[in-house]
Amino acid sequence: MNVKSIIKKNKLLFLVVITYITIFIIAPDKAARSVENSVYYLIEMLQVLPVIFLFTVVIEAIVPKEMIIRGFGEKSGFRGNLLALLLGSISAGPIYAAFPVSKTLLGKGASISNIVIILSTWAVIKVPMLANEVKFLGMDFMGVRWVLTVTAIFLMAYITGLIIKKKDLPANKTEVMSLEINEEYCIGCGICIKLCPDYYEMDDNKVVVKKMPEGEKAMSAIQESIDKCPSNAIILNRKGKVS
Amino acid sequence: MDIFTIIFWIIAIILTAVSLIKDKKKTFAAMKKSKAMMGNMIGEIIAIIFLIGLVLTFIPPGPIETVLGSANTFVSTVVSAFVGSITLIPAFVAFPLVGSLVDVGASIVPAVAFLTTLTMVGAVTFPLEKKEFGTRFALTRNALSFGFAIVIALTMGVIL
Repeated sequence: MNVKSIIKKNKLLFLVVITYITIFIIAPDKAARSVENSVYYLIEMLQVLPVIFLFTVVIEAIVPKEMIIRGFGEKSGFRGNLLALLLGSISAGPIYAAFPVSKTLLGKGASISNIVIILSTWAVIKVPMLANEVKFLGMDFMGVRWVLTVTAIFLMAYITGLIIKKKDLPANKTEVMSLEINEEYCIGCGICIKLCPDYYEMDDNKVVVKKMPEGEKAMSAIQESIDKCPSNAIILNRKGKVS
Repeated sequence: MDIFTIIFWIIAIILTAVSLIKDKKKTFAAMKKSKAMMGNMIGEIIAIIFLIGLVLTFIPPGPIETVLGSANTFVSTVVSAFVGSITLIPAFVAFPLVGSLVDVGASIVPAVAFLTTLTMVGAVTFPLEKKEFGTRFALTRNALSFGFAIVIALTMGVIL
């Protein structure tokens, strides 16, 4: 992998590093303090991420897909919502730790609404945090805020489920994906080349695939080329796509 | 390590052992898949952590206190919700901070808005959420969380 693609893949990290270098030059004490502040979170990450890794492995390896669909799928209903609430509430770690678990569940058939519930409760509702809230703000305050928050999370889950469909989510990039052109159908009109010059090229009056598309943006352009192809010659196999 | 994390370590290790006994091949395949998935995220997670360090240095609790305690409730509620969205101060700092403000008579509405967006809206984790779940999902979830945080704050102002 060359330097450019490494930077492109870790854009945020690169930006943060640049910021730190700049601050180190103009205000070294502030940069040192920032590093100090980060250490606590770094330790937290090291404590939590291995556990998350093991959990995703277990879900992936031994939990049957039907069980996830029954528990968290589209038809799991209110019981599924409660289960998601419970899972999010008993979780450990910051919200980014919820991302791998949610992605694995999503891949195994959990619904968008339940993923919203898991992510939100994971961030907001934690037993040690609730105890802390009671200590400093009182039982009434905590209780009312909890009830309102849970209500809000359920409403959000419902609304997000209406707005977002699974096709809006990025496909799992680690899965195989293949783009093909049926040369018997291709009439060589070149519309697809005009739409995505990076991925198609003309070869002897027929279009061939130049390179495999990657990423969300490329996929939507490819989808458009599939829709516009007058002879339906473009075939996209998205194996393992979240669907 | 707090007791919760320790319990999770124990559960995770037991479950992984069960998985290994049940189906070794599948477990290793799953490990490979999870490794690829988390490998994709790790750069961004580390970036987020150091970003939190920066935010904590440049937006310390002091100025947040001023915003939360300001006289105009409506303005301070919206501003507090914004501040809560971009900062990621630990909950064990946030609760005492808010508690001390409420004790001296500050309105609870901005305080609740701040506490709720602090955890539910993640401006810092947004890039990772966007990468993993898509722009539409991340935008919808965070925007809804922001709106509901204000609703929760206002409702609490009426109830309590």
